[in-house]
Amino acid sequence: MLLSLKVATSCLLLVSAPALALGWLLARRQFPGKALVDGLVHLPLVLPPVVPGYLLLLLLGQQGVVGGWLYRTFGMSLAFNWKGAVVASAVMGLPLMVRAVRLSIELIDLRYEQAAATLGAAPWRIFTHVTLPLAWPGVLTGMVLAFTRSLGEFGATITFVGNIAGETQTLPLAIYSATQQPGGEGPALRLACLSLGLALAALLASDVFERRARRRLGLP
Amino acid sequence: MLEFSVTLTQGGFTLDAALRCDAGVTGLFGPSGSGKSTLLAVLAGLQRPQEGHITLAGETLFDAATGVNWPPHRRRIGVVFQDGRLLPHLGVTANLRFGLSLRATGGPSFEHVVEVLALSGLLSRRVQSLSGGERQRVALGRALLAAPQLLLLDEPLAALDEGMKQQILPFLRRVKEDFKLPMIYVSHAINEILHLTPNLAVMDAGRIIGHGRFSEIIHEDRVLALAHALGLQNVLSLEVVSNDTVLGSTSARHGAQLFLLPLAHLAPGATAHVAVRAENIALALCPAAHTTIQNQLPGVITRITPLANRLLVEIDAGLPLIAEVSARAVSDLALAKGTPVYCLIKANAFAYLGQGA
Repeated sequence: MLLSLKVATSCLLLVSAPALALGWLLARRQFPGKALVDGLVHLPLVLPPVVPGYLLLLLLGQQGVVGGWLYRTFGMSLAFNWKGAVVASAVMGLPLMVRAVRLSIELIDLRYEQAAATLGAAPWRIFTHVTLPLAWPGVLTGMVLAFTRSLGEFGATITFVGNIAGETQTLPLAIYSATQQPGGEGPALRLACLSLGLALAALLASDVFERRARRRLGLP
Repeated sequence: MLEFSVTLTQGGFTLDAALRCDAGVTGLFGPSGSGKSTLLAVLAGLQRPQEGHITLAGETLFDAATGVNWPPHRRRIGVVFQDGRLLPHLGVTANLRFGLSLRATGGPSFEHVVEVLALSGLLSRRVQSLSGGERQRVALGRALLAAPQLLLLDEPLAALDEGMKQQILPFLRRVKEDFKLPMIYVSHAINEILHLTPNLAVMDAGRIIGHGRFSEIIHEDRVLALAHALGLQNVLSLEVVSNDTVLGSTSARHGAQLFLLPLAHLAPGATAHVAVRAENIALALCPAAHTTIQNQLPGVITRITPLANRLLVEIDAGLPLIAEVSARAVSDLALAKGTPVYCLIKANAFAYLGQGA
């Protein structure tokens, strides 16, 4: 299911930068409304996935506030195509990655960042040359979580972009469709095995990367 | 050069310190918790004081009145922390070069710093594999390579054992002599500071209670009491005369005064830095005959300061010495200001600083 991989990879690309920024912000800064931002980011984790999907449809659908504007200005539509599936799974994956990033940044000793500042490093350089490399194992974990979440995302995707074969039908949707048809057990089982393999491969790869990163940092 | 007056209150602690330092090394001395590290953090821009100002080389880095507050990365103030704080994801060379790539112009070359601090054997190492002393040498080199205008050293030797300290001290001296950089050296070990500089600022409970040459400010009661509480040491710089390998001693002199020290194999003419604790100096009214004590230095008492049930006796013996004796001994011998005395010091009471002997 190349579509699933395409959606998951795009989701990862889409979600990484905001997740890093949000994770850093929540870990290192105090600002008014922090609790609200924290809550909004984490909302998709605690809501039934159908709810974010429905909200996305309202917001980003062609009749939605943002979606309508996007369609009129750029001629771009997110509803009922694979790009919408990317957005849906990004929203669902974001809190997972933000959590992992935030946690790993909070664990970094602030004193390393201070030492870098006394050596002349500006805040942005400290982030790219000190914070990010030190948080790398956690960031990697977050990326894997977001990626696998995207592979497995069902509720928000089907609500927002439907279940259109070849366009928005990702692996879990395809499995669901197969089980709904008479005689679909065979294809469903094959797809389930494929899904299992993909998830396992992602987890193993992350484990290898993470171990390598930790070794470089001299961690156990 | 550096001039500041800052006030910072946090928790129950108030830092209220003002000082003017010239080029060269200023030792910042005081007990743990007196606010030395907080003061350094304020100077480096890592903590913001509520009141006051900081100027360095004519530039205002902080002024609460006008709201000027330069961020740490623009202050050009290097810091060597007690724990080194080498970046764990980088190797030794990358750590050294971290500030090098960020500095504007000027500053020492990589090769020069590596040579002065003898780092060439460490360049390919990972920071996790360094010993405590090696780590501090790399941290020192890293700070120098960022070309700071002022170097702050926050108890850089405190985490090291005694032998290691003696190995690092000569490097600090070389840095002082080679790079001509204004430095503030924080320590609660007075012999470490005096090894580097006679200029001292003494801190207690968030305030600087004395500033000047050690031999002058030690006369202030509060400074003396503090120095005593932290282990009062006489630190002497002597010129080596000869080594007697058979009898196992080194002789050195200061003016006409001759000292016998433990054998150290130093070249004649070289400078030996030695420390002797105040309580290891005994006083006598006349030279003692038939004794194993090797050093008997004539001098005159210049001041007697009571401290609990002990007395600190300052003696001018061609160079200032402080002896700690019991109140009873002083009254028995009728010691007073102006009394000529002999300072009795066993050769073994002298410890070398910075030679690892």
